[in-house]
Amino acid sequence: MTTTTEKPAVTGYDFDAMLQTIKDKQWSLADIDWNAPGAELVTDEVRAKMRPFMADLVWIEHVGARGFASLAKKAPTPTIKRIYEYFHAEEQKHANAELALMKRWGMLDEDGNPPEPNINVKLAIKVLDDYGDTLPLTGLATLIPLLECALDGALVKFLLDEVHDPVCHEVFRHINSDEARHITVDFQVLELIGAGPLHKLLIESLALLSPQVIIGLVVVFTPLINKMRDNIVAMGLPEQKLYNAVKRFATIGSRGAHTSRIPAYHVLKAQAAMVVDRTSPYHRLLADPMVRLTSFVPAKLLGKPQAWVDELTHEPVAS
Amino acid sequence: MTTRSSPSSPSSRYDGELIRGEEWRGRAFTGRSVAVIAPGREAAIVVPEIVRTARTVKVFQEEPDWLLPLPLPLPRALAVPAARLSLRLRVREPWTRRRLTPDARFNRNRPLVDGRYYAALQEPHCTLITWPVYALVPGGIRSAEGIEHHVDCIILGATAAHREDLFA
Repeated sequence: MTTTTEKPAVTGYDFDAMLQTIKDKQWSLADIDWNAPGAELVTDEVRAKMRPFMADLVWIEHVGARGFASLAKKAPTPTIKRIYEYFHAEEQKHANAELALMKRWGMLDEDGNPPEPNINVKLAIKVLDDYGDTLPLTGLATLIPLLECALDGALVKFLLDEVHDPVCHEVFRHINSDEARHITVDFQVLELIGAGPLHKLLIESLALLSPQVIIGLVVVFTPLINKMRDNIVAMGLPEQKLYNAVKRFATIGSRGAHTSRIPAYHVLKAQAAMVVDRTSPYHRLLADPMVRLTSFVPAKLLGKPQAWVDELTHEPVAS
Repeated sequence: MTTRSSPSSPSSRYDGELIRGEEWRGRAFTGRSVAVIAPGREAAIVVPEIVRTARTVKVFQEEPDWLLPLPLPLPRALAVPAARLSLRLRVREPWTRRRLTPDARFNRNRPLVDGRYYAALQEPHCTLITWPVYALVPGGIRSAEGIEHHVDCIILGATAAHREDLFA
């Protein structure tokens, strides 16, 4: 028996129909011929250049998956909870598929182990393990679409410009189709939250001012994003693509009637604008020092991560 | 009770043995790989038995339920905290524990009495999988994390046996 404890605000969006579409559009790594010709198009030069990028991408998807798992715990209705459970799995699928591409391109070690995450990813894992499930819905629900706009609009486009392997393009047709649904739902949920009672918005926003969240944002999120940003720009990603991704976040957000009532939306939008602008004092005063500071954190200090970090696999079939 | 030989049973694309209802009872699965698709309340009954004989067991748990190790005469308001404590004591790994914790808002089922499910899940040849199952295909099960899980036979719980999407 399932019951809803609280009637959510009404925005007119049909989440049940979306859930059905998500179920209908499932795909599997087993649908892809991972030995099809085209891997040779990834030259030694491209391989060396793209290996750290792919490793970051796999981990960002994997950490994003964990974010959806937390969102499922906070979802306002059973249908949205189920959608988030699917999105959790789909992000994992993307990480698995990207790992399979790394395998195809000879970027994994002999045992096919996933790449070791960098210290900033490890910090993000630690924070998600410790606080992920206690964050208020507004915080994560705002952060995730921002990351997805960046992933979708900048990183993936960069990858497809650089790599001409047809299997990679086939994989990302699936991934992009999934991500389009994720972004749609993410913003519809923001609308739902924004349409809620003002007192609830304020209480949840105040809860976001807790030390865990502020420290998480400054010590974990800021250097994580900055390191990736600089790595990718150094590889040749035009900065314009980053601007476009953040602009997209603001554009879709402004289309909704209620999203602008969410304080976290404005905070993250402002931070994102500073992240893409390398001349902003944000980098000199906060982000760059944080990247340097976190590079001194010994990974041992973080303890053993929870078992979800071991769930990555590049094998399409498990027996 | 539906049986796999019943002509009214819907067919799936899965070509291994499909077991529904109570058919698993009293069977030995020696040397075979088995998948169970069921919510916690049903898996808690099936899995401890299957784990005894099967070579490997993959438990596709559709939804977790609270379990009490002993038949304690408690009202729900006390039974749930007791079940939570039992889970805390018997499953050490936090991610596994999280996946065995029901959603307090949407799952209003009373705790079930079962003392063996958690131990069975932690056997080295048993795997708990909580990704949504979306199709049965030749050879096995496809779940939404993109992996096809090949098994010799699939045991369907009562809810899964009636899912039209698995038999399309």
